[in-house]
Amino acid sequence: MKFAPLVENEILKLLKRRRFRVALLILIALNGLIVFAQTQAKDRKPERDWRIEAQERVARMQNWERSGRLPQTQLRWVRFEIARVQYHLDRNVNPDAISGPLFARAFANASSYLLLPLLAILFAADIVSSEFAQGTVKLLLTRPVGRARVLTSKFAALVVAITLTVALGGLVAYLFGGLAFGYRGWGAPVLTGFRLAGETLDPGSVRSLPLWEDALLAFGLAWFAALTVGAIAFLTSVVLRSTAAAMGTMLAALIAGTILPRVAPSWEAQRYLFVTNLPLPDYYSGSPAPITGMTVPFSVVVLTIWAIAATAVAYGVFLRRDVLA
Amino acid sequence: MERNVVLAAENLTKRFGKREVVSDVSFEIVSGEVFGFLGPNGAGKTTTIRMLVGLARPDHGRVRIAGFDVSHDFAKAMARVGCIVESTDLYPYLTGRENLLHFARMLPDGAHRRIPELAKLVALEARLDDRVSTYSLGMRQRLGLAQALLGAPDLLILDEPANGLDPAGIREIRQLIRHLADDRGIAVFVSSHLLSEVEQMCDRVAIIHRGKTLAMGPVRELLAKRGADRLVFRVEPAEKAAQVLGSFARDGGARVDDPGTVSSEVPRESVPDALAALAAAGVRVFGVEKQSSTLEELFLEVTGGETV
Repeated sequence: MKFAPLVENEILKLLKRRRFRVALLILIALNGLIVFAQTQAKDRKPERDWRIEAQERVARMQNWERSGRLPQTQLRWVRFEIARVQYHLDRNVNPDAISGPLFARAFANASSYLLLPLLAILFAADIVSSEFAQGTVKLLLTRPVGRARVLTSKFAALVVAITLTVALGGLVAYLFGGLAFGYRGWGAPVLTGFRLAGETLDPGSVRSLPLWEDALLAFGLAWFAALTVGAIAFLTSVVLRSTAAAMGTMLAALIAGTILPRVAPSWEAQRYLFVTNLPLPDYYSGSPAPITGMTVPFSVVVLTIWAIAATAVAYGVFLRRDVLA
Repeated sequence: MERNVVLAAENLTKRFGKREVVSDVSFEIVSGEVFGFLGPNGAGKTTTIRMLVGLARPDHGRVRIAGFDVSHDFAKAMARVGCIVESTDLYPYLTGRENLLHFARMLPDGAHRRIPELAKLVALEARLDDRVSTYSLGMRQRLGLAQALLGAPDLLILDEPANGLDPAGIREIRQLIRHLADDRGIAVFVSSHLLSEVEQMCDRVAIIHRGKTLAMGPVRELLAKRGADRLVFRVEPAEKAAQVLGSFARDGGARVDDPGTVSSEVPRESVPDALAALAAAGVRVFGVEKQSSTLEELFLEVTGGETV
């Protein structure tokens, strides 16, 4: 019995349903909206020298810093931003210059902790439970194909769907961004790897990469984050056997993940939650991590452990449990 | 046609918590045989079927299909089976053909080549490229059957195949099942709570109630055990007729069923005498007909009167 036809089946079922088209539409609509909003903002601004603007911004942020009224978390961000803009000023690079490729690159950061996990959940939460809801699981599991192979084919289809979604998201962002800001600029140098050493910027960590390489890395990390969320949603789909319940659980987790670092930044143990680690393309490119001390390798390890554990439990449950739906 | 055992259930037992849903159920089905599995809803039929096809694991006992143990040689055993469990659920957002192709991909190479022939067999050729969500219940049922036959199985397991069908649809399915058993030598396991349908198409039946098999055997044999057929007399006055007929009845009883109707177990050879006696007693006889003993009665008897 060959494995490829099974994966073909699962991909076919994913693509034939409305949810994949909905995901595509969400990607297009969101990207279009953001590009539109940004062009509006750009049009209203008078044409001024970016150097003057950047200098003003640094001065403004220094005032905030000195005022002493900022909470600790924001203070950290302000200091970082001052250092980052200053660094660009020193090297005569516009920190806010935007182009189609840059817009696509920004999409990876902006989507890795909410949008892409959300779409991954949209596919994964339903991939096993829908078979139970439709009753088709009884046919699927009475064919001369072992349960492990059936589940593996579903997991493979999920990986394909998530990969496609991340790639399409990047492509759509590039197309829309290019329409507004120009399609060229993949080779432009990007400064990345900003890190605070105490109060000042640690210049040793800053690197200059061509934009395409940087974007590829950022998308890779966003893909990995979405994949981990997909694996965990896959588990909830197997265990709960209800799409609504699985989606609800995963959404609650995602929301908790965006709120927790803000309301309880001092709770150190949350760095081991998968949701806290999702914005990793963000701190890969230099933003401060949600919890001090989190690094990209750390997050990759944490996410890998979550993904492997969730998948293992999903197999354990699926292979053993009686089908009584 | 060589008759070999295709399905063997040996001492199947399943517990949900402390409740034993299926207790020690055993049976064998040979090729070309239609086996009816009868019982009221909740008798343990569906749980038994789930164990037959490996969806549920028996707590005790085992199932062998074409000699392969379902729990150890799952893939080899299931390669010989086509089934419909509980309802013919297929993917509503795919067309009939896409559904069949989907399940053909889960079978050894070449199964998709049977699709045209099977579509013809279940009379779905014209609608094969429409989405299943637009199908009627009867069409879904027939598509389910085509799906079950894709792998050219030796054994068909059909759970309530006539559920939700109109009388014409039920007759079609019945004829199809007989055709598959008689002409292709497929062993068919049919569960049902509709006695009439099982009676008409099965070679053998088992009656299951509260998880236990209460009776099993060829339909004719089971019915014969119940003695002679009852006769229904359309007479007037009924009370008087009942008195007269009582002396001719095998068990000495005659019952007034309705005003003007008496039923009694009068042996065939005594019928002319009984009629003469009725005439002599001044009873007017309008008609005598045979009330054939049905599985229905047998069923009521073995289950202690619980309706199905």
